Amino acid sequence: MVSIDLLLNAVVAGILIGGFYAAVSLGISVVFGLLDIANIAHPLFVITGSYFTFYLNSNFGLDPILVGLILMPLFFVIGNIVYQSYYHFFEKQGAEPLRGLVFFFGVLFLIEVSIIITFGVDYQLVEAAYLGESLNLGIVNVSYRLFIPFLVGVLLTTGLHFFFAKTFYGRAIMGVSQDSLALSLMGADPVRIKSVAFGIGIATASMAGALLVMILPIEPALGREYIGRVFAVAVLGGLGSVKGALFAAIILGIAESLTATYFGAAWSSGVSFGFLLLVLAVRPAGLFGR
Amino acid sequence: MKVLHDVSIEMTEGETVILLGTNGNGKSTLIKTIMGIVPPNQGEIIFESEGVQINLVGKKPQEIVNMGITMVPEGRRLFPQLTVEENLYLGAFRREARQNLERNLSYCFEVFPRLGERRTQLAGSMSGGEQQMLALARAIMSSPKILLIDEPSVGLAPILVSQLMTSIKEMKENLNLTVLMTEQNFSQATKIADRGYIIVHGKIEFRGSNVELSGNELVKQYYLGT
Ligand SMILES: Nc1ncnc2c1ncn2[C@@H]1O[C@H](COP(=O)(O)OP(=O)(O)O)[C@@H](O)[C@H]1O
Ligand SMILES: [Mg+2]
Repeated sequence: MVSIDLLLNAVVAGILIGGFYAAVSLGISVVFGLLDIANIAHPLFVITGSYFTFYLNSNFGLDPILVGLILMPLFFVIGNIVYQSYYHFFEKQGAEPLRGLVFFFGVLFLIEVSIIITFGVDYQLVEAAYLGESLNLGIVNVSYRLFIPFLVGVLLTTGLHFFFAKTFYGRAIMGVSQDSLALSLMGADPVRIKSVAFGIGIATASMAGALLVMILPIEPALGREYIGRVFAVAVLGGLGSVKGALFAAIILGIAESLTATYFGAAWSSGVSFGFLLLVLAVRPAGLFGR
Repeated sequence: MKVLHDVSIEMTEGETVILLGTNGNGKSTLIKTIMGIVPPNQGEIIFESEGVQINLVGKKPQEIVNMGITMVPEGRRLFPQLTVEENLYLGAFRREARQNLERNLSYCFEVFPRLGERRTQLAGSMSGGEQQMLALARAIMSSPKILLIDEPSVGLAPILVSQLMTSIKEMKENLNLTVLMTEQNFSQATKIADRGYIIVHGKIEFRGSNVELSGNELVKQYYLGT
């Protein structure tokens, strides 16, 4: 017999975790989809954001969301530096994307090792008064531990969506990989545009990192666990589509949550990829791809 | 490889000048050199504005665009995965153009009502004629003083070429543009030109008014088949 309680709670938990998945995947969607840059180190930037959040929270008692906001400009600058290095050593030389992949593998290992050296391999978690509480809506129980990350993820996605749709910089970012020479003929500097876009991608990682450490304990290798899921969300939504990433993340969140509830957690990542393959077979551009 | 040899051309404000030549003679290379896309080995490109002379050599395309010189490239170079509207908004990227965005946009839709009907269509899914209209309109969105148009007639049916030339002339007059247009299509181009040059193997072989161009031996040889 199917219990309505169980079903509803699973769906709600799925939607909430989906908002968080969106935050983690946004940067991948932007950098892979709009810049054609294979930044596989993205999940590690997320983990770095988590550790910064953990550090500032445990030492100074700062609220994790506040830390996420403070980190965004810092990560934007870091993203700029990473892109400029990538540009000078690879893109400018006309290197194939595969060689760029090696660069980002390097970045990935560098970050992981730095985290292990600095923080060790123990699990870490943040604290905030509201994290243990929950909102009781009749039969559905909404914990703030999931609700706050969901809310922030949705806000981040919405903000980015309007940035791309309504601003000159946003539109330039959408056009830059389609024809960067044509973009320079519009009076924009393509390298600068890409640098800003990459910076934005990395800035979203810092906030996603803050959300991650609110939801579950982190350890340095956690990033790897997220790589698959993050790509599934970005590709499912349609690479380059911010709105798509949010919808895909919520769909995937619900699918995973239902699977975990009814068949056991071990099945849930299999479900994500099964779902991904199914959608790609029907719509290769993803749900919202152009 | 050296493509252009001792090329010297000039334009004064408000003129429509055409650069005629068949395939592979260096028309696009000259336009690209002016725009900073191809660096010249030697020589100068002087832009005079309000009594100040600036050498454009060594400047990047975006810097040149920001001075009010815009190019409609060969093959249109639209953003195929962006909509008509998004392409037009991108045309207005430069600061000076943003202030005139609404006015320029409604002007573009007035000259090319077709684009207004297709605002939300992806640029890459439109016909060749519509794409060329969009390329021209996108250039207009940048509020240029000087417009460089590289072979707008390529791949278009004669009736469309004729309409396009009329639109270029209309825009030039309404917006006080100075136009340099390359063309292979002699008869269509001379309809809107004040004067022109003929380029052969990277050298300017002839310069003159429309009338002079029409009576020229090179033109007869190249275009009129005599
Ligand atoms: N990227 C390039 N590299 C080398 N040669 C080129 C390149 N582009 C054009 N050329 C050569 O320059 C000459 C002029 O080309 P182009 O300016 O495109 O002519 P047009 O626009 O008059 O058809 C041609 O002989 C062509 O082969
Ligand atoms: Mg050409």
